[in-house]
Amino acid sequence: MKITIKVDPELCIGAASCVTIAPETFQLNEENKAWVLDHGQSPEGNKYERVIEVSEEEKENILLGAQSCPTLAVFIYNEEGKQIFPEL
Amino acid sequence: MKYVIVGGGVAGTTAAEELRKLDSDGEIILISQEQHPLYSRVLLPHYLKGLVERERVFLKKESWYEEKNIEWLRGVEVVKCDTKNKFVELSDGRELPYDKLLIASGNEPRVVDGDVRGVSYLRSLDDADHLKQLLNERKKGDPAAVWGGGLIACEYLNLFVAHELPTTIALRGQHFWSKNLNEEAGEFLNEHLRQQGVKILTEQKFLGVEGEKELEGMKLENQKVECDILGIGIGVQSDLGWIKDAEIEVDRGVKVNEFLETNVEDVWAVGDVAEYFDVVANRHIMFGNWQKAMSQGRVVAKSMAGERSEYQQVPSYAMEILGLDITFVGDVELAAADKVLVRKGDEHGPTLMLMRDNKLVGAVVMGRNSDRVPLTKVIDQRTGDLAKVMNWQGIDQEILA
Repeated sequence: MKITIKVDPELCIGAASCVTIAPETFQLNEENKAWVLDHGQSPEGNKYERVIEVSEEEKENILLGAQSCPTLAVFIYNEEGKQIFPEL
Repeated sequence: MKYVIVGGGVAGTTAAEELRKLDSDGEIILISQEQHPLYSRVLLPHYLKGLVERERVFLKKESWYEEKNIEWLRGVEVVKCDTKNKFVELSDGRELPYDKLLIASGNEPRVVDGDVRGVSYLRSLDDADHLKQLLNERKKGDPAAVWGGGLIACEYLNLFVAHELPTTIALRGQHFWSKNLNEEAGEFLNEHLRQQGVKILTEQKFLGVEGEKELEGMKLENQKVECDILGIGIGVQSDLGWIKDAEIEVDRGVKVNEFLETNVEDVWAVGDVAEYFDVVANRHIMFGNWQKAMSQGRVVAKSMAGERSEYQQVPSYAMEILGLDITFVGDVELAAADKVLVRKGDEHGPTLMLMRDNKLVGAVVMGRNSDRVPLTKVIDQRTGDLAKVMNWQGIDQEILA
């Protein structure tokens, strides 16, 4: 399945919770904010938002990474564009 | 099985959530001193700056506890614990038996004498609501002051400067974080704050607040600082009284091993209240931090449900102070290091690398954020092999602590 992952750099404070839990998806940059990766890679350069293909297991772990963010700076959307985290 | 969790913050609530996943039938009781469902303390500064709405600081809805079949007792505290007969006594007089007990009761800000309007603390959502009200009543140019030199003091500086309140900060020592920053790093931060217009008074003694009902100033040993809003950020302390009385071992916090077990059977401790054995640092440390509290809650739930699990993670803490990023990684207590290497700051601040037995155990990164990830790796690998990740040409000083 495809999901969209977005980090809001305004909210991100570099707590690195997402990086600790899902290092294949999140990586700290020089601004102490988290870039979004596609399975450890950065096709088309560094980005705060990506659409990536994930397995159910990968999705669960990315969700866990998002849930662990103390500033709720990570947003996850499903294939239909519906926000699945944070829950509205 | 009856699980009793003392503390409704992120450590306790995460443990309750994980326990429910692992044990669908067990009775889970979560005792919370506050009335609010779980919220993010880390979001409080964002809320105060107007970056997020108040409702966005909540991480759980009130209905969540019932949905998960977690009995949520709010507005009460534990006052006594009997580990022989396995029960806790609550502030409302009730006695609750347990099979497994988790202490995740966190801590409280240290307070000063003098309860006049205008004095602020910043720990809970109620504190933040109060501070928001105070800030709304102030106008540009009103004098503000801060007492203390830690994380919360930094948050006050960020808020007061953003509100264009001329701010004076008084410190007990010569600079912020006297246990973690050496003179060079401390002075770099002081200079940064001065450049941002903050007035710094060092080596001060706080004598009290002035004003009858409304705050008029802060009394220091040799001077008075006029202010109509005062942020207190002098650290935190845990209520260890009932824990100690129960003969659960405490020192600075509740002592636990790498499995987060106390010295008493069927009693664990996690989060800010726990002084835990950090297998990477190879000693007991206290490190108040969201990520750690949450991870410990997750790990301890496994142990409580019967699968003994070790907690292992290099803790880190990042903050921004008026545009300067500061990150603590690992064991950052200078007194526990036997050597400190300093990478000089150019336009950035210095990076401090704390060594013990020729291993890197902690780092303080000021401004040069690119040092954070490689140093975290070296700490995690428990080596002192900095040459692999650092350009040694950049390390100008080697200081014996």
